[in-house]
Amino acid sequence: MCSMSGEATILHADVDAFFASVEQRDDPRLRGRPIVVGAGVVMAASYEARAYGVRGGMGGARARRLCPRVVVVEPRWPAYVEAGRAVFAIFERAAPLVEPLSIEEAFLDVRGLERISGSPADVAARLRCDVREQVGLALTVGVARTKILAKVASRLAKPDGLLVVAPEDETALLHPLPVELLWGIGRATAAKLHARGLETVGQVAGLTETTLISILGKASGRHVHALAQNRDSGPVRARRGRRRSFGSQRALGRSSTSPAALDADVVALVERVTRRMRASGGVGRTVTLRLRFDDYSRATRSHTLPRPTAATQTILAAMRELVAAAMPMIDRRGLTLVGVTIGNLDADRGAQLALPFEDPSGSALDEALDDVRDRFGPTAVTRAALLGR
Amino acid sequence: MKFSVSREQFMARLAIAVRCVSTRSAIQTLSGVLVEAEEGAGLELQATDMELGVRIRGEAAVERAGRAVLPARLLLDVVRSLPRDELSVEYRSSEQDVELVCGPSRFHLRTLPADDFPSLPTAEGAQAMTVPARAFVDTVNRVARSASRDETRPHLTGVLVNASASELRMVATDSYRLSVKETNLEAPVEGELEANVPARALQELSRIATGGAAESIAIAALQNQVVFTVADVVLSSRLVEGRFPNYRQLLPESYEHELRLNGAELFEVTRRISLLAQKNAPLRLRFAEGSLEISAQTPDVGEARESLPVPFQGEAIEIGFNPEFLRDGLESAESQEIVLKLISPLRPGLIQSGDDGGFLYLIMPIRLNV
Repeated sequence: MCSMSGEATILHADVDAFFASVEQRDDPRLRGRPIVVGAGVVMAASYEARAYGVRGGMGGARARRLCPRVVVVEPRWPAYVEAGRAVFAIFERAAPLVEPLSIEEAFLDVRGLERISGSPADVAARLRCDVREQVGLALTVGVARTKILAKVASRLAKPDGLLVVAPEDETALLHPLPVELLWGIGRATAAKLHARGLETVGQVAGLTETTLISILGKASGRHVHALAQNRDSGPVRARRGRRRSFGSQRALGRSSTSPAALDADVVALVERVTRRMRASGGVGRTVTLRLRFDDYSRATRSHTLPRPTAATQTILAAMRELVAAAMPMIDRRGLTLVGVTIGNLDADRGAQLALPFEDPSGSALDEALDDVRDRFGPTAVTRAALLGR
Repeated sequence: MKFSVSREQFMARLAIAVRCVSTRSAIQTLSGVLVEAEEGAGLELQATDMELGVRIRGEAAVERAGRAVLPARLLLDVVRSLPRDELSVEYRSSEQDVELVCGPSRFHLRTLPADDFPSLPTAEGAQAMTVPARAFVDTVNRVARSASRDETRPHLTGVLVNASASELRMVATDSYRLSVKETNLEAPVEGELEANVPARALQELSRIATGGAAESIAIAALQNQVVFTVADVVLSSRLVEGRFPNYRQLLPESYEHELRLNGAELFEVTRRISLLAQKNAPLRLRFAEGSLEISAQTPDVGEARESLPVPFQGEAIEIGFNPEFLRDGLESAESQEIVLKLISPLRPGLIQSGDDGGFLYLIMPIRLNV
């Protein structure tokens, strides 16, 4: 069993009616109307359609019977993949640990980020805001001490909601719930429990593991027992093993950007990213500049440093060279988004310290600034170039 | 140009020249070796990559004076493969090539433009200092590894060479470790020398001097060049630009722990455990009352640990080091007994040779993520 942290720091974040929401986002005529994605089997139903009892997994004919006005839309995978990536990019920026569950759904562990990003509730609120603004979709977030509860919380908060379960409220929240709301209890298991008159989590929680095993069989019985007891469902694990990059980006107005303003953006992005890297002990070698132009085309430019670093000054210097090299292209095509990514990460290795002679990387300065910001907030110290931003 | 030469000797000289040839220059001539024959004076080979230059004199029976630039690598490969020891070399101006004849073998190599070949600095007229070859090379070999190989920090790619009176001192650092070796000379040198010499030049010099029988090396420091003469070989190098860091201020004044240890044993344990410190993983040294445990762990590969008795006293500390840096320091100490001095896990550690051989190795730790 894994140890549980005492605080609610696990987020379950899930885009509401994802496929249907992407369709409604991209086609204004579908907004406010009941729609389903997928003609044969319903892959996703909009909340308007759900109001009629239409559900994912249902046959198309049945959906049309339940809701004769329903609009059936052919799935557009590339659009969902792109939206899913954009959502995950926001997740990755918000938390050091992201465990994907599907294309638009993940657990995030935000433990230890209080001083950098605020409380888990703050992070969750910002996540919802960012996904809404940057991807145009409604995100629901549940926050709790365990993955099971975070998932339950987001289910209860849907649509477009946020629910934080404080550790002391867990039992009160969990016990009245119908058993099928628990993650991992499917229709078959629920039916077996219902057959014994067991409807709520509280009723199941009152049973011993042995009793549950006699009802459900060994594996399932143990599992349901653990779920009902809200026993830790393990830590949030990044599926891809370790994190691959740190990044941040900023959308720019359509108006032409001056080199000075662009530089200030780059400075701010590098500061934000390197600070997050230092906070999580990461160092990286490959510095990538991401650009999006007026016509929505994109370009990236990267440079690999001789050794991994999280030093603001070193990474900023490399980034400024990339910007300078890309300047003709930026002038010609007009910039609408600038992003900074540090990849080629070295994880878990600890930082090689350097002898304290003239230190071109300014690591002592970085540490001092990080300390000030940890203590007095991220805006306590800023660069002159960033004043008033 | 026409001469005949012993293949064996010609090959040995070419092998030295090839190491100074440019491998990536836009100037084609720099990938060549300049062969110059002078009646009565023998043969001289020259090669340079514009940073490092070498001239090697040698005997040859010169029939006709002249010069030609030949592709160095190819020439060495050809000469190495020839079947007999008598080799005759002739420049054929009508063909713009050089003919090599050795027994029944006959090679024609096209030449590179000789006019483009730069002239190398000479020590003529400059004040030269003579140092014993053995002591100089030994000193180089103790410190040169600590010089930086990172070309973006050029001022750290050199070795600070200091010679005055009876003391020869060399210092090198890549900012993660610092090596200092002070060698007492049997006889005082004339004059004074302080130069930041590229580590690569010194390593080549060390190779040349070790391969030859010369007992001394003459050093002439010019404006921004240094010229070393070892018997028939003249090695010249530009000096490193930028100030060498003030290393004295980096040496801590006092330490918390001072341990006399068996250097060879510690080196062996370090080498073993390092096998499991891959991908830049740190080597962990945990000192507790009377013992030192060295361990390493590489995710997805495995871990290793080994304890050895050490005279450590006080509260246990754990300190991380780059395995290669620690091995380099222990190896360069070159003494049965070493002295290891520590302050705390985030402060530099010091390795000294126990016999007070004038060797210091300051090594910065890796901050361990618990």
